[in-house]
Amino acid sequence: MVRTAVLLGLAVVAFASGSGAAPAGVVRLGAVIPLTGRFASGGAQVRAGYEMAVEDLNARGGVRVGGQQLRLELVVVDDESDPTKTVSRMEALAQQDVAVYLGGFGSDLHAAAAAVAEKNRTPYCGVAFALWGIHQRGYKYLFSPFPKSPEMAIETYRMLNGYLLQDQRPRRVAIFAERTDWGREISNLWSVRSTEFGYQVVFRGEYTVGTRDLSDLILRAKAAGAELVLGVPTPPDGITLVRQMKELDFNPKALLLIRAPDAPAWSQSLGRDGDYTLLMPGWHPGVKFPGAADLNRKHQERFGRPADVLVGPAYACVQVAADAVQRAGSLDRERIREAMASTSLRSTVVGPVRFRPDGTSPVTTVVVQWQAGRQELVWPREFATRPLAYPAAPWRNR
Amino acid sequence: MRPALLVALAVLACALPWVAGEAVVNWGLLVLLQVVVAQSWNLLAGYGGQVNLGHAAFFGIGALVTRSLWMGGVPVAAALAAGAVAAAVAGLGIGLPSLRLRGPYFAIGTLAMSEILRIVVATTLPEVSALPADLIAGYRLLPRYYLVLALAAVSTGTVWLVARSRFGMGLVAIREDEWVAETVGVDSYRHKLAALLVSAALAGGAGGAFGYYHLSFYPQFAFSPVWTFDAVLMVFLGGIGTVWGPPIGAAFFVLLREALALRLTELHVLVFGAVFVVVVLALPGGLVDLLGVLRRVRGSRPQPA
Repeated sequence: MVRTAVLLGLAVVAFASGSGAAPAGVVRLGAVIPLTGRFASGGAQVRAGYEMAVEDLNARGGVRVGGQQLRLELVVVDDESDPTKTVSRMEALAQQDVAVYLGGFGSDLHAAAAAVAEKNRTPYCGVAFALWGIHQRGYKYLFSPFPKSPEMAIETYRMLNGYLLQDQRPRRVAIFAERTDWGREISNLWSVRSTEFGYQVVFRGEYTVGTRDLSDLILRAKAAGAELVLGVPTPPDGITLVRQMKELDFNPKALLLIRAPDAPAWSQSLGRDGDYTLLMPGWHPGVKFPGAADLNRKHQERFGRPADVLVGPAYACVQVAADAVQRAGSLDRERIREAMASTSLRSTVVGPVRFRPDGTSPVTTVVVQWQAGRQELVWPREFATRPLAYPAAPWRNR
Repeated sequence: MRPALLVALAVLACALPWVAGEAVVNWGLLVLLQVVVAQSWNLLAGYGGQVNLGHAAFFGIGALVTRSLWMGGVPVAAALAAGAVAAAVAGLGIGLPSLRLRGPYFAIGTLAMSEILRIVVATTLPEVSALPADLIAGYRLLPRYYLVLALAAVSTGTVWLVARSRFGMGLVAIREDEWVAETVGVDSYRHKLAALLVSAALAGGAGGAFGYYHLSFYPQFAFSPVWTFDAVLMVFLGGIGTVWGPPIGAAFFVLLREALALRLTELHVLVFGAVFVVVVLALPGGLVDLLGVLRRVRGSRPQPA
């Protein structure tokens, strides 16, 4: 019995301990991504971006490290959208000699993953989270070429002022703040930034994720005469919000919702009522940065549509990582971190990338609008696929 | 279980951090953490027959109290004790009214309590609890591993002692037939309440260890029903109402899950589910029955002359 148990134990340990160290001639990039569970659809986009970038870079000969051409190897592991599994699987990847960690999706998973990267002293490049707070913890190994709440708040007003004359602007602002750390963070920033751009917050209310009834907030915003509504709802909450706004005939001139309208499900469930909604998905396939057109073509071949909004930023992460490894000239993680911190890339698919000391990057923040059931890029103006549609048509005329 | 095997296991568990890498120690920690949660659930359900569907509440309270105190500067041992006590007090709160009743009220009451707590915590503490860079710089897995190992030993030891005690026999009598137990002089209410307090305190300790171990999570995550239902699965997988079932179930559950996740990128959940179903169908008494089954299979073979 003892012998059987010991043999069984050894077999389990051997099976569990994974494939071990990276072979020579390979730069291993380790990505823990939510491929199942609540974040699965976002995780799938991130993964596609990483995979296409690794393929493209390897087709061009990989990266040059210390006079040697090395191939990139991507190891993808699912974390089931569960931060405890993110941690354990990041640790498992650490044992497999990853040179750089690539991030998953969603701020709670990123917060857990970035902390593991910090502990293991391994550079971490993550996109698909706008929570600025993670960057304010003093982490040195966290890098994110993705717009964060401060840029999003500023670009909201800059875009409106860029398109609209003084007397057209929706000056009276209502903020529907989700009761989460990101919801609070960006709502504060929207409030703080409003005055310098000539806007006034006339109503601000908090709601809990998963609320079925937002009518109280909507009626109070309507009573306050709000012309611009801002929020960061989850997809179900965003759909609830628009439906109840229509029922209560609250028709602000502009509605900007971050996150909920990102997925195609927005127009599928709302139809024409989903039109006019503005969103800030972090990227758009319409941007004219070097490589974006190629990426769209490949994505079209593989998935039958231009690159999804997270594919671009994820692709850029691999570009950043490969560039850092090349400039570090070694697979030493400390040196790769230093190289990544001094990144100065002129041409990635998200535009120029360099990093601030907190690991954020002044990348282009795009504003997109649902128009006739399609996501059109409206800001920055030089990339716009359509001009801003404003003011929003009354609900009955859509 | 044979003493030799027990000693071998104990030596292996103590030596693990010195012979294995960080990832393996981390798996060990997750297994041992689940041993505590599963064992604490097993004590009440496996012996007392009281199905607690809100075990996550005790785990969550332990995690929340311990982590807030520890990050606020309280020594971790004191914070852990406070977490366990807080969980036991919550156990008292739900047990006092609901254990007086028979029928499904305890299960419903605990489930409702844990969901209410989860929503309250999500609403009042919406911000992620991540360790700042200076605490991460001093973070070591080793003390956390030994802490969880000690908790696993304590919880398994508790169940072992209960299983051999007069108190444990009273619990088993209640599980089999509460009316009969009462007629032979078992005070079923007190037995159930005492078992719940011990179970809640152990789960609170496990939660506290989790709060001390985890680098970053939302407070509501520790209240997720996953902690209840994973424990239920592990207990049934290993063998409910046994001392060694929950540890075997926890080891099998965590290691198989992690091994599959690292090998099968997308299909791992599906394969894991299938393996799970096969085990439950083939071994209704749990994995502890495996050796007995093997012995029977071997015994039925014609013996060599």
